[in-house]
Amino acid sequence: MAIAALMMVGGVAAGLFGSLLGLGGGVLIVPLLTIGFGLDIRTAVGVSLVSVIMTSSAAAGVYLERHVANLRLGMSLELFTALGALIGGSVAFLVDERWLALLFAALLTYVAITMGRSALRTAGGPARDIAVEAVEADASMATVDDETPRDGVESATGSRIDLDGPGYRVRRMGVGVIGATGAGVVSALLGIGGGIIKVPLMHLVMGVPLRVATATSNLMVGITASASAVIYASRGGVDVFAAGPTAIGVFLGANLGSRLGHRVDLRILRWLFVAILLYTAYEMFQRGLA
Amino acid sequence: MSGPSEALERSIGRLLTAATYVAVTLIAIGTSLAVAAGISPLSGGPPLEPSTLPSRLLQLQPDGFLWLGLLAVIAAPIARVIAGGVAFARIGDRWMTGVAVAIVAVIAIAVATSVLGG
Repeated sequence: MAIAALMMVGGVAAGLFGSLLGLGGGVLIVPLLTIGFGLDIRTAVGVSLVSVIMTSSAAAGVYLERHVANLRLGMSLELFTALGALIGGSVAFLVDERWLALLFAALLTYVAITMGRSALRTAGGPARDIAVEAVEADASMATVDDETPRDGVESATGSRIDLDGPGYRVRRMGVGVIGATGAGVVSALLGIGGGIIKVPLMHLVMGVPLRVATATSNLMVGITASASAVIYASRGGVDVFAAGPTAIGVFLGANLGSRLGHRVDLRILRWLFVAILLYTAYEMFQRGLA
Repeated sequence: MSGPSEALERSIGRLLTAATYVAVTLIAIGTSLAVAAGISPLSGGPPLEPSTLPSRLLQLQPDGFLWLGLLAVIAAPIARVIAGGVAFARIGDRWMTGVAVAIVAVIAIAVATSVLGG
């Protein structure tokens, strides 16, 4: 009883702070379950994938109802994120857990640095997606330029496929396909949504407005994580008793976070989280070397 | 944006939201039953066995509800793709219909490889 309650509270905290800070659930759930509850990293990734799908589906439903996400672009790219997830999900069971821990440590360090840079630039303000922060942190590599000729997206038969939205045209689909496949592999290996790759990819490389890129990325998370969750579930990588309280907690926390987001001063919270992320990265690094 | 009408996007959005709430309810029931039975979340849950799922549900076993809920979570985005594919087929968009079919095929390959390899 006590452990289930603790796990649910941990899930609420992961969902709440993930939502407030735009981290996405997986970045916090996997360390919570491995360091906090002693689960092996592969089981934690399986549980995280389920939680990530749940929060993504709830949010994507709202985005679709409000017509913010680009359904055609999202579906075109998620074919490749699903392929990447199929590869990543299969590889995850062949890779030594220590390598997964080292990969996760690298991811946490990157997120901490991105959040730290953002905290230095802004004094509080509304909660924003960490992928959006990553976009701004790497704005120097931006290639979105309205003067640049658009090469469009062409099918195998040479006819142009319309993936564009109101006021923008999608370009560099080839790069998008490669990036989406990579995002799927990373998502399946580490149990994250992959928005930190997909949002900068769509916005900076493919010319999709930031708001649409964020919503479309969220839409894509569901099918990406489903492709790998199927593999984890059928190979014993999902522990239902651990997944239950965690997923419920994350769902409640994410809902609460979306309601509190505009009322919370994030100055102290951001720095606290940079410290927590760096500490967690250190712990994961130690696990990787163990 | 060309493609399915706004009404269709709204319908798909509602489908996703409804499926998520059904899944959350099933998982909440399973978690409550597990807590009532004194099962620790760290005891290691049983693996997925689709053939025994109906009987586990009828016996009100927590793992039955938890697995059904988790399968509903996983199925929700797949259902969204299938619904999108059907809608695109109705408006004669062969490219997007093909994309939807390809996505479902990738998921089917994932299921097949895990069942055969697992």
